[in-house]
Amino acid sequence: MAKMLIDCDPGHDDAIAILFAARRCELVGITTVHGNASLENTTRNALAICTLAGLDIPVARGCDAPLVGAATHAGDIHGRTGLDGAELPVPDRGPIATHAVDFIIEQAERHKGELVLAVVGPQTNVALALRREPRLASWLKAITIMGGSTTIGNITPAAEFNVYADPEAAAAVFACGAPTWMVGYNVTRQTGFTQPEIDRLRAAGGGRRTAAVIADLMQFYLDGQKRVFGLDIAPMHDVCAVFPFVRPDLLTFVEAAVEVELAGRLTRGMTVCDLRNKRAGAPGAIQEARRPNARVAVASDARRLIAEVIDVVLAFP
Amino acid sequence: MTKILIDCDPGHDDAVAILTAARHLDLVGITTVFGNAPVEDTTRNALAICTLGGIAAPVAQGFAGPFLGGTPPFAAAAHGRGGMDGAEMPEPDRAAEPVHAVELIIELARRHKGELVLAIIGAHTNAAVALRLEPRLKDWLRAITVMGGTAGPGNVAPTACINVYSDPESAHVVFSSGVPITWIGYELTRTVLMRSPDIARLRAGGRVARAMGDLAEFYRRSYVRIYGIDGAPMHDGCAILPFVRAGLVRHEPAALAVETAPGLARGMTLVDRRGIQPGLDLPPPRAPRPPNVMMAVEVDVPATIDAFVATLLSYP
Repeated sequence: MAKMLIDCDPGHDDAIAILFAARRCELVGITTVHGNASLENTTRNALAICTLAGLDIPVARGCDAPLVGAATHAGDIHGRTGLDGAELPVPDRGPIATHAVDFIIEQAERHKGELVLAVVGPQTNVALALRREPRLASWLKAITIMGGSTTIGNITPAAEFNVYADPEAAAAVFACGAPTWMVGYNVTRQTGFTQPEIDRLRAAGGGRRTAAVIADLMQFYLDGQKRVFGLDIAPMHDVCAVFPFVRPDLLTFVEAAVEVELAGRLTRGMTVCDLRNKRAGAPGAIQEARRPNARVAVASDARRLIAEVIDVVLAFP
Repeated sequence: MTKILIDCDPGHDDAVAILTAARHLDLVGITTVFGNAPVEDTTRNALAICTLGGIAAPVAQGFAGPFLGGTPPFAAAAHGRGGMDGAEMPEPDRAAEPVHAVELIIELARRHKGELVLAIIGAHTNAAVALRLEPRLKDWLRAITVMGGTAGPGNVAPTACINVYSDPESAHVVFSSGVPITWIGYELTRTVLMRSPDIARLRAGGRVARAMGDLAEFYRRSYVRIYGIDGAPMHDGCAILPFVRAGLVRHEPAALAVETAPGLARGMTLVDRRGIQPGLDLPPPRAPRPPNVMMAVEVDVPATIDAFVATLLSYP
């Protein structure tokens, strides 16, 4: 089982990622960041999820704003609290005293060469940790990112929310040199719960507190996705970033050079992925192909992936 | 019969576009621009194609560089140093018209008010300057059809195709002009491949087809070398097709904007494919723009290649 730390901004799909990683990985900690909602809300939501599912995992609070500029939230999808749609338990504890940035460094040092850092919110905490501890990139086994896209954005036509919410931080993370997996919106948009699957969670969850609450959350989330994007699935963005270390066979990756657009009038926060398949050394480009720095997901076996997720959710009390 | 003016930078695939338009449409003029090669070369190549195909349409030379200046990024790696290497082309039997491309575009649009389709298959500089110089041009044109940009991988840059990358400001002027625009991007045209058997059919044909077969073979080899793609992509011809025969290309309305800011994505044609639902009062940056192009989303590749090959074989 992979040792994993999740840096997140719950968030409906973040909640699923936490539950899934808690069962299918050795989840050593959760750090929170601004993003889908304010830091205060995302931290409370992370704690509420742990309380709901009985997870005894440390939660550390991180940064409440991006490196540059003001925070962006996604209330139109996740609601005012960041996790609207269900009656969540009051957290049975608070976050630990350690800051998320320090906690990430501490855990990476303790589990040198073993820790997978799953970054499923804006990348502010991770970027700061990489700067504060220059050895961090070499300590990590991998960074796996839900963020960016090869094709299509959600917050803007070009940009996916997590990268858009702190492009400078994402640029630092993609350039850090640690083995990096990117599961972007191009894949996660098509990988989600259908209405029958949510109904199944609700039906099978009779007596199971966690499944019942998750079904309510997913219903709210699906309704939002339908209203805003016309989607008939509730995309499970964040859990997709856990899969390379649980069931790598359910995703297809290509090696590619990924850079984050920091300028741009229309494209700021876009992950510019070089998928030209330009042959090394071949002439013909004004911008030459760079060396790949990430394994970029281009396809998923969505139905089997979601079936794995449902099994895990239903196994909680 | 549709009247068409082709603004181009021949270019192997431009040659097929010109010969296809001359065969099936009323090709009223050709204007040239820098792009695949310097404008002197693209003009000579356009005249040579006309000579080869017996095409009488006037050819007028246009801009040698982008609107904001700077060195244009030519595509010698794919098209060769002359912009259209690989075949024995005839010496042009005439010179370019003594008018600038911009004047010819405006003049022909005025003469054929409401009828003229402007095909832009090179850099957008001529078209943009014409639109700014004659504000009525946008009302005179029936439509603009564009090959350029990409909604997927690029060629000269990770997310940009040379025709828009060469002059993003001019492409912005064209795409925001308000003229009805039919658009096909590089992500689709790079799949419209003339493969070795098609090239062999051309080489067994008449004088024109043989020359085009030689050009296609050169271009195919470039694509093998650069991208590992085994075929000569018929980028520019794809912009002409919707006016030749219905049903070969399927289109959907789309909002397209050109990134003009300096950065990694400069010259990208950004298409909003988020599916944001109508009637929502979303704040920026989530709010969508209204559609401004009919975007090609699917090409019937075998039928398209057959149409090009049959057209070229119909020449002497």
